[in-house]
Amino acid sequence: MTTYLNKLWGGARLAALEQLTYRFNLFSDVAIQPLIVAAVELTLWLAFFKSTGRSELAGFSQEHYLAYAIWAAFVARISANWMYEWNMIDSVETGSVNAVLVRPISFYSFWLGQFLGYKVLTSSFSLVVPLVVCWAMKLPVQLERLPLALLLVLFYLIFVHTIAVIMSSLAFFFNRVHHVTVAKNITLWMLGGEFFPLDILPEGIREAMIALPFSSAVFRPVGYLTGRLTTAQLGEGFLSIAIGQIVLGSVAFVLWRAGRRRYAGTGA
Amino acid sequence: MGQIEAKPAPLSRSGFQHPDTSRLSIQTMGLGRDFVTYKKPEGLMNSIKGLWNRKYETKVALQPTDLELQQGQIIGLVGSNGAGKTTLLKLLSGLIHPTQGDARVLGYQPWKREAAFLRRISILLGQKNQLWWDLPPADSYDLLARIYELDRQKARQRVQELAEMLGCREQLLTQLRRLSLGERMKMELIGALLHEPEVMFLDEPTIGLDIVAQNSIREFLGAYVRDRRPTVILTSHYMDDISLLADRLLLISKGRIVYDGQVEDFMSRAETRQTLSLKILQPLREDLQLTADHRVPAGSRSLSIEIPSQQIGPALQTLLALSPIQDIKIEEVEFEDIIRDFLEGRHDHLSQ
Repeated sequence: MTTYLNKLWGGARLAALEQLTYRFNLFSDVAIQPLIVAAVELTLWLAFFKSTGRSELAGFSQEHYLAYAIWAAFVARISANWMYEWNMIDSVETGSVNAVLVRPISFYSFWLGQFLGYKVLTSSFSLVVPLVVCWAMKLPVQLERLPLALLLVLFYLIFVHTIAVIMSSLAFFFNRVHHVTVAKNITLWMLGGEFFPLDILPEGIREAMIALPFSSAVFRPVGYLTGRLTTAQLGEGFLSIAIGQIVLGSVAFVLWRAGRRRYAGTGA
Repeated sequence: MGQIEAKPAPLSRSGFQHPDTSRLSIQTMGLGRDFVTYKKPEGLMNSIKGLWNRKYETKVALQPTDLELQQGQIIGLVGSNGAGKTTLLKLLSGLIHPTQGDARVLGYQPWKREAAFLRRISILLGQKNQLWWDLPPADSYDLLARIYELDRQKARQRVQELAEMLGCREQLLTQLRRLSLGERMKMELIGALLHEPEVMFLDEPTIGLDIVAQNSIREFLGAYVRDRRPTVILTSHYMDDISLLADRLLLISKGRIVYDGQVEDFMSRAETRQTLSLKILQPLREDLQLTADHRVPAGSRSLSIEIPSQQIGPALQTLLALSPIQDIKIEEVEFEDIIRDFLEGRHDHLSQ
């Protein structure tokens, strides 16, 4: 176990070093991007409340929705893995995966370490944005809930990484799958609750969407942080991810093995 | 051919006898690999039809091959592009699965990718970076040390030793992307040797490098294999790589091993040819039949021809009798050309 964690830490460290090498790019990633996304989300919700003349929606005030929007923008950026997924798929397509296949580390672990390293580094910096905005606008946030909420996001990252391995495995079969991953990401944005809190959906759809592990991408941690959800409901997120991880983990395992049998070692 | 007998390891260029020749490092039994590819038709309409009606073709990259390589041998694997040499390397390093047959490398089935196997082998792909492009090599080595479960202090020490041997210590802390091709290859070599592999697959380690860098890497590899005695399979387009490093030569063509023997035998028995380029001071007054195959027209003052080595002397004598020579250059014919001649049947006697 220690050896495995040491390998993960090595990958995480390398990803962090890589990010820290290019200051301008890092600054854009951790400050400019979250600020723009937060501004867009705030504008949308302010426009909604102003145009409808309402002061609350589904039992929650405008401030609650603004707090949700700010934190959703932050958490969604953490739980998105499109950049790493893109690189992983690319490595299979171009054959640079060879550098991993000839070493005593799995493709899964090799990328997981780097992915987590990148996320921890950038999130630590960009966490300042929602904290400052919520403090400045006096938005309702239960900051004592932040560690548990972020723990769920971390757990979700492992799950979403498993999906990335599935997508990468598909590249063994179809070579080009970048558009598939874009379609998948759009679906996840919807299912995750980044656009709007999932509890405002009609009954039936709402329960189904919240029960899926994808709701832990944004809705569960942000709902918990902004007081929409209880600790028990957050706990259900851990369970839901665990079940999803078992199911998709099995799919990833089978697909990866089958894909490897077809692999032609492109580009080596 | 195809069926290749295990032979005692020969005395290498360095003069040492490989130890324990009874131990096999690599063994293949009918190992073969086919690739299925989409045969894309030409043009827009045909491409649209290809959305629902596709034709695939199967290409044999490696025909069933039986091979036995002794521990500590250095094998030069040569062949033209697409001959199947890289496919063989990919199979033996576990990168790809075979379509048929089986193989054992250090007793392991390579494509099972067992950690114990991967810790004992290494592959260097001359045209691919395996280190991190945006980071100094020293940082990449730190991760490699963790992946191979090495003592990090000892790994750092080993990096310094290898860098010293390769003369690249100053570049260890420079971003990989800022290094020259030769320097990058040295760094890749350090990465490939960090865990002291027992079997090394070197695919074109000197490709694209200038003469100085090529020599530097050859010398390093020569010293390294003399000292550590790993089993090495080396592919290269440069004869110097093969002739200076390899004990045994495997020539592969169209997925089949067509020659298996010692490098010296191959070279000495192959008809060596050279390129003769020269300028004479006075133009030729009339057409000159320089050799049986080469006629030089009247008025010529320069020529460049490829002729057998033994014909160079008589040709020069003939020309000197007609005019003083202003400039002369004699070059070895590319190894690739010798291989091509062999494959085209000009050296049939070699395969007997």
